Amino acid sequence: MNNKGIKTVLSLSVLISLALSPAVSANVTDKDILNDQATTGDVVSYGMGLRGQRYSPLAKINTDTVQEIRPVWAFSLGGEKQRGQESQPLIKDGVMYVTGSYSRVYAIDANTGDELWQYDARLPDGIMPCCDVINRGVALYGELVIFGTLDAKLVALNKDTGKVVWKKKVEDYKAGYSITAAPIIVKGKIITGVAGGEFGVVGNVRAYDAVNGQLVWERPTVEGHMGYIWKDGKKTENGISGGKPGQTWPGDLWKSGGAAPWLGGTYDPDVDLLFFGTGNPAPWNSHLRPGDNLFSSSRLAIDPDTGKIVWHFQSTPHDGWDFDGVNELISFDYQENGKTIKAAGSADRNGFFYVLNRENGDYIRGFPFADKITWASGLDKNGRPIFVDSNRPGDPSESKDGTQGTSVVSAPAFLGAKNWMPMAYSKDTELFYVPSNEWEMDIWNEPTAYKKGAAYLGAGFTIKPINEGYIGVLKAIDPKTGKEVWRYQNYAPLWGGVLATAGNLVFMGNPEGYLLAFDAKTGQIKYKFNTGSGIVGSPVTWEMNGEQYISVLSGWGGAVPLWGGDVAQRVKHFNQGGSVWTFKLPK
Amino acid sequence: MTLNNAFHFSLWAACALLFSVSSSARTYDDIIQTDFITVAVYRDFVPFSFQENGKDLGIDVEIAAQIAKQLGVTLKLKWATADESVEDDLRNNIWKGHFLDRTVADLMLRVPYDKKYRLKRDDIGELVNGQVHMFAPYHVESWQIIFDQANIESVPTIAVFQYHDIGVENDSIPQFYLMSAFRGRMRDRSKQFATIPLAIQAMQAKKVDAVMGMRSQISYYQSHLDTQRYLLAQNGFPNIGKQKWDIGMAVKAEYRQLGYVIGDIVEQMTKDGTIDEIFNRYRTVYEIPDFYAP
Repeated sequence: MNNKGIKTVLSLSVLISLALSPAVSANVTDKDILNDQATTGDVVSYGMGLRGQRYSPLAKINTDTVQEIRPVWAFSLGGEKQRGQESQPLIKDGVMYVTGSYSRVYAIDANTGDELWQYDARLPDGIMPCCDVINRGVALYGELVIFGTLDAKLVALNKDTGKVVWKKKVEDYKAGYSITAAPIIVKGKIITGVAGGEFGVVGNVRAYDAVNGQLVWERPTVEGHMGYIWKDGKKTENGISGGKPGQTWPGDLWKSGGAAPWLGGTYDPDVDLLFFGTGNPAPWNSHLRPGDNLFSSSRLAIDPDTGKIVWHFQSTPHDGWDFDGVNELISFDYQENGKTIKAAGSADRNGFFYVLNRENGDYIRGFPFADKITWASGLDKNGRPIFVDSNRPGDPSESKDGTQGTSVVSAPAFLGAKNWMPMAYSKDTELFYVPSNEWEMDIWNEPTAYKKGAAYLGAGFTIKPINEGYIGVLKAIDPKTGKEVWRYQNYAPLWGGVLATAGNLVFMGNPEGYLLAFDAKTGQIKYKFNTGSGIVGSPVTWEMNGEQYISVLSGWGGAVPLWGGDVAQRVKHFNQGGSVWTFKLPK
Repeated sequence: MTLNNAFHFSLWAACALLFSVSSSARTYDDIIQTDFITVAVYRDFVPFSFQENGKDLGIDVEIAAQIAKQLGVTLKLKWATADESVEDDLRNNIWKGHFLDRTVADLMLRVPYDKKYRLKRDDIGELVNGQVHMFAPYHVESWQIIFDQANIESVPTIAVFQYHDIGVENDSIPQFYLMSAFRGRMRDRSKQFATIPLAIQAMQAKKVDAVMGMRSQISYYQSHLDTQRYLLAQNGFPNIGKQKWDIGMAVKAEYRQLGYVIGDIVEQMTKDGTIDEIFNRYRTVYEIPDFYAP
């Protein structure tokens, strides 16, 4: 194609995009993002506010009216490429921005469901994402729509045209890195976790200038690695994470320690801290790495200006069960003896719910939110698990050729009492709404395993439901007492996010395809609608032309159908899909 | 569809035409009729399959070329990115295709030939590898240590590595072995590297005194070093589990006929010394599988 041709194509597509744009729209500012939870006319951050509470003050759709809502449009993501749709839509000035599987982005007219533009990242041959080709959403800043790709790039698109403004390689996909999380924007910086499924990766959290994509700082999440900050384009040492290597890791295993912050993070402006969770340590078998293995399976509080770790809390020290500690830490305040407690809550994969002081990371209280926990008998006064030693998977050196070795049954399963799917917190009911799963696993050392033609000592596991009638349980939990106020049980495992509103409602989708609305106080189902494919995305709500809208992505997939066993039996007949459904009350 | 997408689509279509790897594995008759066979080999896996200055090289690449020649068809290679385990690699490259490109090959090399592995069952009792037929062992693999004689006089037993640093590949049996065997007495001396070539480079830079890996890979790298200084150790590996294992090939389970024809070709190549000669050319230690014992 000659230059002239390119020009024609570009200007034509700009014209078309302009013609299709519903209105000239304002740019997204830091202030818009900070106020996101309070402003009902837009959704400009993942989590519907940087604290990640997923709470909306909108109440037109409420327990009395929700029965009347109906779909106003549905948008198909199209193509043969379906698989899991885990995205949360963002909405600004009547335009919805969603991501689809296989690193695709769409801008949709929020009034009509018409497509304004679509961007397809060209993925290289030979990428090997671990857990389906999903993406969790975009970030908006200025005139940019920013998202991460399966081949570990950050891409910034013009919000009106969908054209690439800049593109940054975050890490080398060949080394096993990829991005599935939605980035967040804090103080003009894109904050993203750098993660990969492959062994040998060292996790880190990075900040990029949201305007031009220049690196600002990076903070490794494994003890012993140097952090950096860029000043006037100059890379400067900024302190070793944890002070020095080798304190909680044997040998030089810290060099490849894992702890990948693959789910992204939240931010609280009151204490001016970022909160990122970290994945499990590597290698998988805990007998190879005696010690706490910091900062694996932890929550880190990071200074957004410098990238320094201000405090950390490790939910599973010396993890041996693949209990990633990536789950979101949601800031919330509560009153106790007339005092406001600046707290933060997190429901860990390991089955315990933690309430921390978000100013300093102090443990306030913790309690099981999973019905069955076998690996720990409880938490001590500092929130550290009291291990059940007999429930730790076996030492590989004790397995003999051809024998499986002993198998242990452990609950929760490695997919977690709660996985990535975000919970919600309602300031009206002061309850957390936690999408959880009741499953357990057998784990054994597997000597008859091979990797790339080499004999290899793998781990065998079976993941299985604990109960006949259900795996998924949506739980309303009081963070002050640990009491479960109500529950909803679901046959298939839950894998989608939750939304709470001032209309005394809690919204959530299930793999069976239903968008469900519950009474936030009682758990009574007030509305259900089948979207045609399983829901593993996170619903949002906003207001447009005086009416309240609800949107959710439908499209079954994610990690659950990739794992076999009894759980697969429950989900194998679910059909794939890929669409955005939008609802409102009739006029 | 915007013009942007139209442009992407046409690019995609052009690519699809260029790399017309078949989207499903095929019968022997289809292969003969279409005059080509697609063989999956691992990407960047020295000395078995790799690319250098645009040329396809390696022991497995040459064996694949010989098989194609004997069948009287041309060879197409499918470069496979290794997944977490060989089960995944067989699914991605032989019977189902990876969900990103959905193409498969007719034949895959460097697959274990192991009865226990063939009969392995998953957690609901199904054969893990029931979708493929594994056959034609062509090589015996085992573990090997290479050491720098400038720093270690000799390696009579593995106990030496309580005192000398040794490089291993991440997430491999040598790593598990050195980290856990004998109650972890070699743990602090085990140094982790992303790949064996990086560990070898570290040995040349005197950062480690030895490297442990697969015998074929280690012997290949040794032959490119000063063989008077960097020696192959003769020690045993007590309690390592599998001391030796056979390497063979795989086709999709339905295409046994293809398997039988290629099995005969490989048997001939083993017996007439063709395979030995290919290993020799790459200066890599070869051991003939028991399968062909007289």
